[in-house]
Amino acid sequence: MSAVVILTPVVISSWPAITAAVAGAAAGLGMVVKETVKEAVEAAEVNVEQSVEVELADSEVLAESLATGKEIVVTKADMEIRVGRDERGRCTVCASGKGKSKVELKQIAEDFAQKMTQCFVYNRVMSEVKSRNFQVVNEEVMDDESVRIHVRRWVD
Amino acid sequence: MAQHDVEITISQTGQVRVHVKGVKGKGCLEYTKWLAGVVGRVKDEQLTSEYYEPETKSRIDLKQDLNIEE
Repeated sequence: MSAVVILTPVVISSWPAITAAVAGAAAGLGMVVKETVKEAVEAAEVNVEQSVEVELADSEVLAESLATGKEIVVTKADMEIRVGRDERGRCTVCASGKGKSKVELKQIAEDFAQKMTQCFVYNRVMSEVKSRNFQVVNEEVMDDESVRIHVRRWVD
Repeated sequence: MAQHDVEITISQTGQVRVHVKGVKGKGCLEYTKWLAGVVGRVKDEQLTSEYYEPETKSRIDLKQDLNIEE
């Protein structure tokens, strides 16, 4: 053994990378991407009773590719999750749905935000290790839903 | 040739555990520094016995390969 390091993710990226993470999270949670980019004003559904928004800690969506107020929408049954960028550039996740309490919606939004962060980090790490010519020896999803990637390189 | 292994575990919350194996001396820090730059910031770091073993020439090559900025 040499070193063990724990890293805290910081989600700073352009909108396409965020979109890829949202799509990954949606697939992992059995949700469907409804629209890739949608005006926030149009997203308000008439039949939605409750809505809760959470913010991704340590996140920043780079402004060049997405104006404030636009978002990506994913759905599952009566649930809708909207991921967007607020005025400060932070990434926000808003869950809404009929017949759900605020507590349930907050939990759903936080679960989605976590899954999205995991997908974002996974995409970023895999892209980096491949670009540095590492060989991916093994990759597996553990019982606790963490993803373990084993990479190798040979050095002269 | 030396075999360098890196085990990267991404938790459900996105927190990342990086375990560098087979790299002697400070060379392993080049890997952790590189991945910290990719993921975010270091929350905790533990050096193991291999870290204190004499490092090899490969550390310099590694730094160039990974394009780590000083």
